[in-house]
Amino acid sequence: MENNAIMRGDILHKGAEASLIHGFWFGKEVIFKQRTPKKYRIEPIDKQIRLARTLNEARALIKVKNYGLNVPQVFEIDISTSTIVMKYIEGKRLKDLISVFDDDKKNKIFYEIGKFIAKLHQNGHIHGDITTSNIIITSNEEVFLIDFGLHEYSDSIEDKSVDLHLFKRVLISSHGSDFDQCFKAFIKGYLSDYDLISSDEGKYIVKNISSIESRGRYVKQEERK
Amino acid sequence: MIDMVARDAGLSHPGGPKIEKLAEKSNNYISLPYVVKGMDLSFSGLYTAARNLIESSEFGIKFELEDVAYSLQETSFSMLTEVTERALAHTKKSEVLLTGGVAANKRLQEMIKNICEDHGTRYEVVPQRFAGDNGVMIAWTGILRFKSEGEFDLSQTNIRPKERMDNISIPWRN
Repeated sequence: MENNAIMRGDILHKGAEASLIHGFWFGKEVIFKQRTPKKYRIEPIDKQIRLARTLNEARALIKVKNYGLNVPQVFEIDISTSTIVMKYIEGKRLKDLISVFDDDKKNKIFYEIGKFIAKLHQNGHIHGDITTSNIIITSNEEVFLIDFGLHEYSDSIEDKSVDLHLFKRVLISSHGSDFDQCFKAFIKGYLSDYDLISSDEGKYIVKNISSIESRGRYVKQEERK
Repeated sequence: MIDMVARDAGLSHPGGPKIEKLAEKSNNYISLPYVVKGMDLSFSGLYTAARNLIESSEFGIKFELEDVAYSLQETSFSMLTEVTERALAHTKKSEVLLTGGVAANKRLQEMIKNICEDHGTRYEVVPQRFAGDNGVMIAWTGILRFKSEGEFDLSQTNIRPKERMDNISIPWRN
């Protein structure tokens, strides 16, 4: 192996859990996603979490890619440093685009995201952390989903509802003024894709969101059912 | 949750500080369920696992209570700290204020302070005397209940530590 085959460049993003380092891997433009040790937690927990999430994420990315969904391709996994080498996705985070999008664009993109998540759920995958930071939009408006660190396998309506509920909460707290429109388009897209396979399950999943909300803590009296 | 484990271990109220004291004596970690979903935490599996460890002596295996306390604190506080850090990374907020009963715990304070330093965020914690159970709040609830439902016989009043907030009827509202 040549020395220059693998090259690490700048840190693009320092997230809560991992650092994303830009670089090259045998001629391909890649991201090194490295889960760094956390000082606040004791070593057994730290090791266990970094190992489990690195493996879990890499496996999930590989599987989901096989359904033809847009996720980064995995090239290499290094357990000793809990690093995944994956394809670099050129684009912008949805979080930074919402305020720039006009109404038509918002409807279109969130409808697409809905369809994307529906496909994921139909195949038994729960993303676990659907946020506007974890969705990348490319220049030709393709939707990419990243960060599968909290991914789980499940076919249960409850788990799928929780996944949607988390996204709803993110939209309310971070993009309140756009929430109504975006979430409506998202659910529409979600149901449109779910309906293709099983006509009722998608509806149950969406319906179940309000049940989850009413179970949470600090629910306002008037919103309780 | 920590209070519930303390109660199962036969410790008197308030259990939190007693668990904290016990935990200080141990550094023997027993693996416990760690469940984080996005920004949400689930403690039910963790609680059951801790209770099983406490009750395990019935099956001939004895775990030291201080090890259980240590493992319980490390696991649950790591979960709390992880989501706090994720929230900081996502929202870029500039301040974290630790409140509630568990804010009195020195180990949790240390963990939250640590991530605040990493992110250049201001860290504050409520003074110890505001971190405990709030007597005035409880008394006021008692007054409201008395005004709407009248007197209760002492034998009719139950201690239900596992009652859920959303299952309590509030007769003085609607």
